[in-house]
Amino acid sequence: MFRRFNAPLRALFAAAAVAVLATAARAQEPQRGGTMVMIVQPEPATLASYMSVAGNVCPVACQVYEGLVSYDWDLKPVPKLATSWEVSPDGLTVTFHLRDGVTFHNGAKFTSADVQYSFMEVLKKVHPRAPVVLGDLSAIDTPDPMTAVFHFNHPAPYLMMALSGYDAPIVSKSAFENTDPAANPTANKPIGTGPFKFGAWERGQYVRLDRNPNYWQAGLPYLDHIVARFIPDASTRSAALETGEVQYAAYSSVNYSDVKRLQANPALDTTSKGYEMTSGLSEIEMNEHRPPFDKREVRQAIAYAIDRKFIIDNVQYGFGKPATGPLSSNFKPSGLYTDEVLRFDVPDRIAIANKLLDEAGLPRKADGMRFAATLEVNSFGQQWMRQAEYLKQALAAVGIDLTLRSEDTGAWLRRVYTNYDYDMSEPFFNNLADPVIGVQRQYVTSQIRKGVDFVNNTFYSNKEVDDLFAAGAQEVDPVKRADIYHRIQKILVTDSPVIWLSEVQYVTVFNRKLHDATTGPLGTYSAFERAWIEH
Amino acid sequence: MRRWIYAGGRLALAVPVLFSIAVLNFFLIHLAPGDPASVMAGEGGSATPEYMAMLRHKFGLDQSLPLQLWHYVVNVATLDLGYSFRNDEPVLTLILDRLGPTLLLMGTAFVISVGAGILLGLLAGTGRNSWRDGASSILALLASATPSFWLGLMLIVLLSIRLGWLPTSGYETIGSFYEGRAYALDVGRHLIMPALSLALFYLALYTRVMRASVIEQMNMDYVVTARAKGQTELGIIFGHILRNALLPVVTMAGVQAGNLIGGSVIVESVFGWPGIGTLAFAALQGRDLNLLLGIFLVSACVVVAINLMVDLAYVALDPRMDM
Repeated sequence: MFRRFNAPLRALFAAAAVAVLATAARAQEPQRGGTMVMIVQPEPATLASYMSVAGNVCPVACQVYEGLVSYDWDLKPVPKLATSWEVSPDGLTVTFHLRDGVTFHNGAKFTSADVQYSFMEVLKKVHPRAPVVLGDLSAIDTPDPMTAVFHFNHPAPYLMMALSGYDAPIVSKSAFENTDPAANPTANKPIGTGPFKFGAWERGQYVRLDRNPNYWQAGLPYLDHIVARFIPDASTRSAALETGEVQYAAYSSVNYSDVKRLQANPALDTTSKGYEMTSGLSEIEMNEHRPPFDKREVRQAIAYAIDRKFIIDNVQYGFGKPATGPLSSNFKPSGLYTDEVLRFDVPDRIAIANKLLDEAGLPRKADGMRFAATLEVNSFGQQWMRQAEYLKQALAAVGIDLTLRSEDTGAWLRRVYTNYDYDMSEPFFNNLADPVIGVQRQYVTSQIRKGVDFVNNTFYSNKEVDDLFAAGAQEVDPVKRADIYHRIQKILVTDSPVIWLSEVQYVTVFNRKLHDATTGPLGTYSAFERAWIEH
Repeated sequence: MRRWIYAGGRLALAVPVLFSIAVLNFFLIHLAPGDPASVMAGEGGSATPEYMAMLRHKFGLDQSLPLQLWHYVVNVATLDLGYSFRNDEPVLTLILDRLGPTLLLMGTAFVISVGAGILLGLLAGTGRNSWRDGASSILALLASATPSFWLGLMLIVLLSIRLGWLPTSGYETIGSFYEGRAYALDVGRHLIMPALSLALFYLALYTRVMRASVIEQMNMDYVVTARAKGQTELGIIFGHILRNALLPVVTMAGVQAGNLIGGSVIVESVFGWPGIGTLAFAALQGRDLNLLLGIFLVSACVVVAINLMVDLAYVALDPRMDM
C-alpha cells in the first residue's frame, strides 16, 4: 500500500530538488549602485519614528534608524547595534553589549549613553506605546561605553520582541540633548546609524535617502539611493510599477483588484512575506453598553452568521485567511497561538445563530427582522465599504437590520473611541510582535480609556482575563506563558467581545530586477541594506 | 490715475472681507468632528491618554475656543499663518512649496483651455450649423462629459505604459539631478498629461460661451455696416467681432481662475502632482487646522486679486466701460 505512493513521491522530491538547484543557479552576485524607488502610501506627516508608529513613517525612517536587535524568520532576536545580551534569571535585568565602531550620520560615535538617552529620555517620554512596553523599565546603567544594563520593576519578556529599529529606534544623544523630544529638529531630518542617510524631502513628491558610506557593515548597503515616492491614486501606483518607474510597493499599496494583473506581468513579482511581526486582524467591535450587544448569545450569533471565507475570497481577492480568535496564527512558532477554541465556521452555523437570537429573547417581527443596528464603516479604504455591504446582507439573513454609516477618519475615530456613539464598528488591529504590545489593549478593563484610539471600546471587562493578561506579561517560562495565552483565547472567543474576521494578508509587489528587498519578518519595517538592483 | 485710485479702493475693501473669511473659516473648521491629535494617534494604531494629552497640549487644543480664535486672529494680523504640527513645518513654507507646481499646472491648463476654447468657439460660431460647428460641438460635449480622472488614467495607459513616451506621474525625475534647460524639459514632460486632462474639461466651457457670443455679435448692426462698406469676412471677424465676443469669455475665465489656486484634487492625485489641492485634502483628512486655515486664506487672497485683475482687463478690452 505504502509502496505504491513511493514512486510519485520520489518524483516529486526530484522535481523539488531540481527547482531548488535552478533557484540557486539563478541567484547572482549582488551589484553595487542604483536607485530603488518605492511607494509609500500615504505620504507620512513626519519622519519621527520615535514618536509616531503610523504605518507610513517606518518604511522611510527605518532606513535611517536602527535598533539594538533585529529579528530572523523564526522571530528570534539577532544582533544589530547590540552584539550580545544576557537576561538575569529573575528577568529583572538585561545586559546589552554594544557594537564598537558605529557612528551616527552627524559624526557622533555610538555609545551606551545614546542607548540610555534614547530609551529613558526619548522613547519613554514620547513613544505612543511606551507606557505599555517600557512601563516597567526603571533605569539603564552604563558601566562602560559599550555596555548598557536595563533594570525592570517586573520581568518584561515581551521587551525582547520590541527592540527593532521600528519599535525602538536609537537616536543620537548629541542631536537630542537639551531639546524637547516632542519638538526636535530631526523630526523631519532623521539622524541615525542606519545604512541610508536622510537626503531630501520634497513634500507631496518624495523623500530621497542616500547611501551611508561609513556604515558599520563593510561593503553595505549596495544601493546608492532609496527614493520613497508618494502617488495618491492607486491606479497610477500600479501603472508606475508596470512602466518600471517604481520597483517596490509594500503593505498592499496597490489595489488588491490590480494584483492579479500585475502578477501576470513578467517584469513583476509578488510576495506576502515580511509581515510576520505585523499580523493584522480585521474585526467587528460591538458596544456592550448598547443592548442587545450586552448579551453574549447575540455576539456569538453574529459571529456564526458571517462567512469569513466569503469575505476573503470576494472582498480581499483571496488575500487573507479566516481568523479564529484574538491572536493571529503568526504566533504559532512561539507557541502562543491555539485554534482549539469555540469555532464559528461549522456547517449549521446559520441555524445556530437563529437559535441563539431566539434564546436571547429577540424573535423575528412581522418584517422578518429581530432588531436594527448601525455599523460604522472603517475609513481606511474602499475594501471596508465592500465588507460592510456583505455584512449587511449576511446579518439580514439572521434577522439583524444593519444600517451602514461612512465617515472620514477623524469623525469615525471620534465617534467610536471618544463619544462611544456606536453599535458596531469594523476596525483593523495589528497584533504586532507580542500579545502584550498588540493584543491585550483591546480586552483588559484598564484599557477602557475614553479618547484613546484603538483600545477597549466594547466595555468588555472580565477579571479572569485581566489577571491572565497580567500574568502573561510577566511570565518568563515559554511553556507556562503559552498556556496562559491559550486560556485567554478560549475565554475570549467564547465571550466574543469582538468578532474576528480575517488575518489580512498584505502583498508586496516588486520588480524582478530588485533582489533581497524582503530579508526578514519585519519586511518594509527594516532597512534595505542588502537590497540590490540588476543593471 | 483714476484706475489706480479705483484699484487702491478695491484693495482696501478686501481687508475686512479677508478678515471675515478668516474668522468664518475658523468656526467652520471647528464644526467638523475629530481633532488632529485623535487622527494622529489613530493612524498609529495605539496610543495612551498621556500621549494624546501631550499632543493636544502641543497643538494648543486644550485652550478654550475663544482663546484659540484670539491667537489665530492676532497671528493672521501679523501675517503669521502658524505652524503645522502634523507636518512639523511652518504653514507658509508648506503652502509656498506647493504654490509653484500648482500655478504651473493650473496656468498651463488655463492657457490651453482658454486659447483652444476661443479658437474652437470662433470656428463654430462663424460657421453656424456647418461641419465646423458640428465637429467642435461634439468635441466640447465629449470633453465635458469625460471625467478627468478617467481621461488621466487612459492617457497614462496609452502614453506611458503602451508607448513609453511620458512618465506616469510626479513633477520631476528623482535622482537625476537635472539643471537648467534639462530640468525645465523634464518638468515639461511631467506636465503634459496632467495639463491636458485638466484643460480638456474647461475647454468645453469656453468653446460654448465663445460660440454663443460670436453668433450674437454676427447679427449686430455694426457687422452689417462693415460688410456694406466692403470689408472681407476675415477682416470683419478679427477686426470687429473677436474683440466684442471676448467679453463674456473673460468674465467666465475670471470666475474659473479662482479655481487655479485651489488646484484640482483629482488630477493632482492621479498624476502625483505636488499641488495645493492634495495638500488641502490631506490637511482636511488629518484635521490639520492651522494648515487648512492657511490654505483657505491664501486662496481667498488670490481670488480677490484675480477679480481685481479681471475688472481691469474689461477696461482694456472695452474702453467704453466705466469704473
